[in-house]
Amino acid sequence: MANLKEIKRKIGSVKNTQKTTNAMKLVSSAKLKRTEELAKRSRVYASKLTELLNEIAQKMQQSNVEGIDNIYFKDIQNPTKVDIVFITADKGLCGGFNSQTIKRTNKLIEEFRANDVKVRLRAVGRKGIDFFKFNGIELNDEIIGLSAAPDFKQAAEFISDVAESYVHGETDKIILVHNGYVNMITQEVREEQVLPVDTSKLELNSEVTSELEVEPDEDDTLLDALVKRYVEYTMYYSLIDSLAAEHSARMQAMDAATKNAKEMVKELNVKYNKARQESITTELIEIISGMESMK
Amino acid sequence: MELMKLEIITPNGVIFDGDVTQVNLPGSEGEFGVLAGHSTLVSLLDTGVIVYNRADGREVAVAINSGYVKVDEEKTTCIVDGAVALSGEDTHIAQAIEKAKELLKSTQASNASIASAVSKVEKIGKSF
Repeated sequence: MANLKEIKRKIGSVKNTQKTTNAMKLVSSAKLKRTEELAKRSRVYASKLTELLNEIAQKMQQSNVEGIDNIYFKDIQNPTKVDIVFITADKGLCGGFNSQTIKRTNKLIEEFRANDVKVRLRAVGRKGIDFFKFNGIELNDEIIGLSAAPDFKQAAEFISDVAESYVHGETDKIILVHNGYVNMITQEVREEQVLPVDTSKLELNSEVTSELEVEPDEDDTLLDALVKRYVEYTMYYSLIDSLAAEHSARMQAMDAATKNAKEMVKELNVKYNKARQESITTELIEIISGMESMK
Repeated sequence: MELMKLEIITPNGVIFDGDVTQVNLPGSEGEFGVLAGHSTLVSLLDTGVIVYNRADGREVAVAINSGYVKVDEEKTTCIVDGAVALSGEDTHIAQAIEKAKELLKSTQASNASIASAVSKVEKIGKSF
């Protein structure tokens, strides 16, 4: 009899879990829709900004045969100091979403260390911070709350710190790692070189021949402003992309959890019924054998 | 009049994407107008008002806080941080004007340029 009660209690607890996971799934899918919309709108802006920057870089390349000497575009063959910025979620329960990013970051660190490159880490999101702290790895900068609610101003502040140290020569390269959104069921870890702006990926458009006029033309004012904006926006967009991926990953994880819970309830129900039948049979045998003995 | 493409893009989405006959932009070195066939140009944009004439001749104004513009022979692309569009077709024009003024005043530009932009917005608002 004790067994029966126990099974019943188990069924209740699994059912409760199922309710929770289902609710979390619904919440995530609603949030995903909103974030997706946000990502869609900012994607146009991000791509135009990149396009404009690329075009300027291209012009500079054309006019300067020896290569680009601007600090934002210089090509560094052997960096000695690298900053890695990585974005994880503040919360768990989203499958392998955070661990994938952490794994990739770890791999990068190992690669750089093997080449005697100094690595500084800057973390966004509680999960990543916790992981590296637990493993006794020093973080140069950390921020919690930004990955759950991307805010342009905060993102800009965070990344401009890094950008400044780049301009001052404290670091040779800035790499941004985040888990990006592909579609409802797929996420992909993305690794992006923020600074120096990667000119190797530029599609050189030889048709553009007309002279580029720049205003204001003194002291790279425009380029400075543009690059700053580009860096800030890359950060912000990555945050949004990461948030969308987080929600989709959580949705998936919670969907799987709900399904598993359902299956478990089914199994437990069968077990419960079997146990119940067994106890009835035992009782019957007891009654019948009692009657037999009285004859 | 010859047409050219104009795009105005903000982080919150595309404000305008279509054909125009001409556009006036608040460049950081002073206002300038662009017609089709303008030579390639990249400029910073200051707090101010972008005014363009659509293909059907209607004039539309967009108040912006700051941004960049890239002009080439066929296309003008404005990448701005914040923008409020003011057009005669809008039924909530008064609200839009208020919003535009708020946007202009929230910037760090010099008082003079903000004042001139605000008065421009008011003038355009009355013309509808």
